[in-house]
Amino acid sequence: MSGPQDVGIRQRARGAPGGRASQAQSPISEPDDDHLAAYRARDGEGWSIEHVLETREASVGIVGVLTLLAFALRFYKINHPDQVVFDEVHFGKFAAHYIQREYYFDVHPPLTKLLFGLAGWFVGFDGTFKFESIGDSYTDAHVPYVGMRALPAMFGSLTIPVVYAIMKESGYSNVIAAFSACLILFDNAHIAQSRLILLDAPLIFFMSLTIYSYIRYRKLRYLEFSPAWWGWLLATGTFMACTWSSKVNGVLTVATIGIAVLIDLWDILDIKKGYSIEYFWKHFVARAVSLIALPITLYLLFFYIHLSVLTYSGPGDTFMSPAFQETLRDNELLMNSQEIRYYDHITIKHKDTKVFLHSHPERYPLKYDDGRISSQGQQVTGYAHDDLNNHWQIIPTKALPETGRGRIVRHEDIIQLLHVNTQTLLLTHDVASPTMPTNEEVTTWPKDDHSRYNDTLFHLRLVDANPGGSWKTKSGHFKLIHVPTKVALWTFPGQLPDWAFNQQEVNGKKEIAEKSTIWYADDILATEDGEVKSADEIGHTEPKKMNFFKKFGELQILMLQHNAGLIASHPYASGPFNWPFLVSGISFWTQNEGQKQIYLTGNLLGWLACTFGVAIFVGILGADLLARRRGVDPIPLPVRNRLWNSTGFFLLVWAVHYFPFYLMGRQLFLHHYLPSHLASALVAGSVLHFVLSETINYPISLRGPSTRPQPPQKADIGMKGPVVVAVFAVFMFGLFVYIAPLTYGTPGLTGEQVNARRLLNTWTLHFAAKKTDHV
Amino acid sequence: MKRSGSDPISLNFGTPEVSPRTSSDFEEVPYPHQSATTTTQGWHVPSREQEELPLHYMGEETARRRVTRTPGGNGVYDTHVEGPDNYDDEGKDVYAKMKAARMPVSSGRPRRPPPPPATTVSEFVQQNLEHIPPIIYTLLSCWTRFHKIGKAGVVVWDEAHFGKFGSHYLKREFYFDVHPPLGKMLVGLAGLLAGYDGSFEFKSGEAYPDTVPYVAMRVMMAMFGVAMVPLGWYTAVELGMSWRACHLVALMVLLDVGWLCISRFILLDSMLLFFTFTTVFFMTKFHNQQYQSFSFDWWMWLSLTGLSIGCVASVKWVGLFVTTLVGLYTIEDLWNKFGDLRMSTRDQCRHWGARIACLIVLPILVYMSTFKMHFLVLNHSGPGDAQMSSLFQANLVGNNFASSPLEIAIGSKVTLKNVGYGGGLLHSHVQTYPVGSSQQQVTCYHYKDDNNDWVLLPQWNEPAYDPEGPIRFLQNGDVIRLQHGPTTRNLHSHTVPAPVTKLNHEVSCYGNATIGDDKDHWVVEVVDDLKAGKKVENIHALTTRMRFRHQVLGCYLRAANAVLPQWGFKQIEVSCDKENNPADTHTFWNVESHWNSRLPPGNSKFYRSPFLRDFWHLNVAMMTSNNALIPDPDKDDILASKPTDWPFLRLGLRMCGWGDTQTKYYLLGTPLIWWGSSASLFVAFLALGVYLMRMQRKYVDMEPREWEHFLYVGKVAFFGWFLHFFPFLIMGRVTYIHHYLPTLYFAVLMLAHQLDHFIFTARRLSEKTKWIAFGVCVAAIVITFWWFKGVAFGIDGPINEHWGLQWRKTWNIYNL
Repeated sequence: MSGPQDVGIRQRARGAPGGRASQAQSPISEPDDDHLAAYRARDGEGWSIEHVLETREASVGIVGVLTLLAFALRFYKINHPDQVVFDEVHFGKFAAHYIQREYYFDVHPPLTKLLFGLAGWFVGFDGTFKFESIGDSYTDAHVPYVGMRALPAMFGSLTIPVVYAIMKESGYSNVIAAFSACLILFDNAHIAQSRLILLDAPLIFFMSLTIYSYIRYRKLRYLEFSPAWWGWLLATGTFMACTWSSKVNGVLTVATIGIAVLIDLWDILDIKKGYSIEYFWKHFVARAVSLIALPITLYLLFFYIHLSVLTYSGPGDTFMSPAFQETLRDNELLMNSQEIRYYDHITIKHKDTKVFLHSHPERYPLKYDDGRISSQGQQVTGYAHDDLNNHWQIIPTKALPETGRGRIVRHEDIIQLLHVNTQTLLLTHDVASPTMPTNEEVTTWPKDDHSRYNDTLFHLRLVDANPGGSWKTKSGHFKLIHVPTKVALWTFPGQLPDWAFNQQEVNGKKEIAEKSTIWYADDILATEDGEVKSADEIGHTEPKKMNFFKKFGELQILMLQHNAGLIASHPYASGPFNWPFLVSGISFWTQNEGQKQIYLTGNLLGWLACTFGVAIFVGILGADLLARRRGVDPIPLPVRNRLWNSTGFFLLVWAVHYFPFYLMGRQLFLHHYLPSHLASALVAGSVLHFVLSETINYPISLRGPSTRPQPPQKADIGMKGPVVVAVFAVFMFGLFVYIAPLTYGTPGLTGEQVNARRLLNTWTLHFAAKKTDHV
Repeated sequence: MKRSGSDPISLNFGTPEVSPRTSSDFEEVPYPHQSATTTTQGWHVPSREQEELPLHYMGEETARRRVTRTPGGNGVYDTHVEGPDNYDDEGKDVYAKMKAARMPVSSGRPRRPPPPPATTVSEFVQQNLEHIPPIIYTLLSCWTRFHKIGKAGVVVWDEAHFGKFGSHYLKREFYFDVHPPLGKMLVGLAGLLAGYDGSFEFKSGEAYPDTVPYVAMRVMMAMFGVAMVPLGWYTAVELGMSWRACHLVALMVLLDVGWLCISRFILLDSMLLFFTFTTVFFMTKFHNQQYQSFSFDWWMWLSLTGLSIGCVASVKWVGLFVTTLVGLYTIEDLWNKFGDLRMSTRDQCRHWGARIACLIVLPILVYMSTFKMHFLVLNHSGPGDAQMSSLFQANLVGNNFASSPLEIAIGSKVTLKNVGYGGGLLHSHVQTYPVGSSQQQVTCYHYKDDNNDWVLLPQWNEPAYDPEGPIRFLQNGDVIRLQHGPTTRNLHSHTVPAPVTKLNHEVSCYGNATIGDDKDHWVVEVVDDLKAGKKVENIHALTTRMRFRHQVLGCYLRAANAVLPQWGFKQIEVSCDKENNPADTHTFWNVESHWNSRLPPGNSKFYRSPFLRDFWHLNVAMMTSNNALIPDPDKDDILASKPTDWPFLRLGLRMCGWGDTQTKYYLLGTPLIWWGSSASLFVAFLALGVYLMRMQRKYVDMEPREWEHFLYVGKVAFFGWFLHFFPFLIMGRVTYIHHYLPTLYFAVLMLAHQLDHFIFTARRLSEKTKWIAFGVCVAAIVITFWWFKGVAFGIDGPINEHWGLQWRKTWNIYNL
């Protein structure tokens, strides 16, 4: 048990005073490269610019300038446009729901949206503006939108110093770190995405912090279980949880760290390292606590806050189960749910399409257009509006007691439904429905004609009900299974032709397990005695309680299902293959007046540099593998280790945040690549370093008590480094300014200017000038 | 851990007086080496090396590793003299020895010298005893495959497709299908051999008339199924499995009702399975020739692998998965060779060249030659014409394109064919768009139909077409109106987004013969002419490729394989592309049919269509149709299943009508085989993880050779399974349970491998235990098969009277 403390003490003992002492005695063994840089500079090896740039003071200066620039570029004209842009429609609305405390449903975890809500509340937004559609004016509605936009802009700006720090901590020189930071700093896509009420800027910020913390933690690996080690490990877990809770894509960051940790643990397990298995378990438990238990706790915590804030009924109710809905104040179920008794007159609604089960005296045509024949029975359709023809009466198929609870309709009862106006019973039979040969036609049959009694029997199956559970309006979701043929009453958004007044088709579906066969009783219009109950009579209005974990579980499953279900096509959706090459962007917002538009697209120069960086790095790794296979070692060992371990980690981040999208069926957009783009900027930086110089900063990990001192090296990228980076940054900034009107949405552009800014002909910009007749 | 002396298996190291078991060290080794010296197969060849180096000259550590255990673990000593490094035990670095075992000969079937030629009959029999079990299994499989094969005299399930395609070969009519032609040509060949004349329609569920020798055809298809059994046996042998595992593999292949059932009908699956099996067999055979590169046998098995790949891919594209398996094996093999610094550059190049020639060029040639034969046989016009280019169709017998008038004039009635790969004919029908403008739909359609006819008319602002007036030939740059024949509406476009390709304009049919506006005007832009070259002014039928530019919007008429939803009958969307990409062939059109009574018919001169272009065109069309087979959200397919349903057999498939009087076939696997094989995949993973972790902690569980073998068979089985399973998960198209049948083979190999590893070759278990385990496995498989044999042999009478078949709630075998 004394192991870690022991190490800790030794480390502390060596820490502050010892460090200084060793510097005094033998500066060459001091591993801290910042000090080393200062030392080298002091040593008078040269006061040339490239050495000055590598000092600690220069580093602080560079970070300061970059950060200031980042804030400037992200906050510039942040109030423009004063209209709802792109997905602000969703995320702004969610913030409003938090302020109003109305329950909503979304596929993404709540952290960022909570922060938006907090920001909105902080700047005095009352939540009444509902961000209904793109282009709605904020100014007219007096929404303090600038305050809300400032939050992601701040996150986006702070990402820049974090990127710089990641590179710095990984042992690259200041200039190279500045290069990577510039790739993000001057990137139009990152800027456009940060200036609006969108989830990506916080996601990317937390992701970069996760990477940063993990690198800091890795560097302390020889001082295991020291306070600093624990600190950075826990920080990694915390930021990882924040990333994951910001947006569902954050799960990829979790996977990245997971893979890195597994590799790390695999190394510790290696017997050649000479560790005991107890030691291994200690490491394992430390990581399990910090990277599994802690993040899960935080994730749950954010959901706990989410559910504690949203206690009122809202637009998200209908996604949830009735039990969940009854925990929300003012929920319709809570207010109106009542038990249904036999002979009650009710209306029945389809859960997905919200149409009433309807019938009218008109009959199905004998012959359809495609030549099939119908039974020519009375039509049964789905109808979206209130109508007397929506009324159905529940007829029992068993003996009922005179009064009392025995008359309540229960789960698994077999019932008949009587259409009140025509006094006919609902029936289905083995006749093809009007539009689907595979499904059964639904019609009705006169009440007094008992010849087809069996075909009018339906099995009432309540969803998630206990045996004998009573059927309630609103909350009692049910399926109606036809007894003889085992089909479920079903409808879908498909119109019938004119002969049914274009109402929705209702038919019997064989796949009774499908969720789309769920209906619910909307209202009781009259009981057997003909009396109508008023809403006031119905009891409890106090919300019910439900276990947090149950609520959480239900919400998680729904989020997953809906995320997978987002497959509708979108004109600006694009496949993952297009992203690294910036083949297409997304039109966020347009305004005809002044020909203004916001078009999400990156800085082409920067993106190509990043993509080239990744390609070159993969090429280097491949060449190294091939060469080593043939017994040649082209790269010196320390440099090779740096390439594989540090740049390799960046590549891992890139790959894990990129390739899973190929497997996803859901609609994908360019902004899903932004986390990967950040990783590729890191790769590009280290590739530039490798190209410029074969030297590295070494060692960068902190020495442990038992680590052998290594002769330190200093990266020297010479004068060409700063020059290359400076020239590149100038060009990037130039291109950024050139495309900026598309990023900031101002100033407006003429048709010719738009055409000129269409750097790739696959970009679909608005207001492009018509080409004159050619050919 | 130690064996008792009474154990029937004893050690024979040539120096029996010194037993390694005396060592106290020995307790630390998880598996004492107890290789049997005698085997049931009688393969015992004493190791020369073993005799030369008696154990007592070595330290215990060395002795422990001295015993080479064959991959099969069945007590066969390897006579192969390994490199000297293998027994260099100076250091205790186990990893070094692991690397030394990298030579490709270290896994697979143990080699033994060929026996001397037999001089007497009994010697010949002795030498070939090992072939007796597969012969017996083959005879048994003949029985299972042919037993009551003609029982259901009706068209069962997909016989409706493949029987029909076979008929097309006999009638030599061109048809179109999503699968490559080899399998269907073999169906046709079977029909030809059986004396079938191709006249039957193969309507689903219809009874076979006397003219159709369906039993003979089914028997010929079932032959492929019969051959699966010996292939399974020999593959297991080549993989170096113990004799018990070989028996199990053969039994499982023999007794799986899914494989049995699918082999008994006129379907492609038996051939697909057969060629999948041959590919794996040839690959393992080749693997075992690796020690003698470039020998005759080596070349033979390598090229047979290539041939087999070509065949399997020519039956169904699913064959590409097993091709990928061979590809991965080859890559690993070449990577190892690449790292072999002792190999000369010349040999390196020869290895690469051999792989490229045999595994890439040869299969492609096979694949292409099946298409060549396909085109040669099908030289008559048939139902699939419209999938092909107009020029190709002009070459088909019974097609009159070539005789239609050559030059197009205003007033001509034409059909317009999209030139792009997979393109169809410009089509319109009375149904309207449910989205956008709600005007009449315009689509691309692959079948001949009056709704493909368009009349070329002058613009609205010009005098109406006068049928008596002078003939005006259509020229480059003319502005025309395209009137849909049956509905007389005009081809129209406007700034409404198209239903699928939302960035393009919608194209619809609007107005009628008298109503219209200038958005009905299209500018004809000639691209080129396939016969006359670049610069042509007049438009010729078939050969002139042109584009239609919308005069007002400047967009181009385009159809690029985007499929409309059910409301558009899954036809191809036609839109108007705002971008002008002069190289986009999907905006190119040519006139296909041409009617104009005022013009002289063209002379039937020969339009040539190059084979390579037709080949490519047909493949793209197949690809497009394949991708269009997506699950229809509006129409749930009760037969379809999801890939996740397969490994544990969640669903079966009713292959025919389920009436009481019908013979019923239910596509279902033998549950034990499916469940067991799927479970073995998990076991393999777990075992691999545990072994790796133990290796990381320097526990030596296996000899390097054993480990190599464990990995080699595991890799073939796992990657084979994975490659045949995973793609279905991400594929958008609708999937059925029979897609798992090739996959199952690899799972079965894995099951046998795991049983082999943990039971049949385990050193800790006694021979008796192994016998018991083997007996239990065999009995369980045989009994389950017998229980379920009805689903493949055909069930008569009301299904609900057959008791006990529903082992999972989700099977729909019974009527509810």
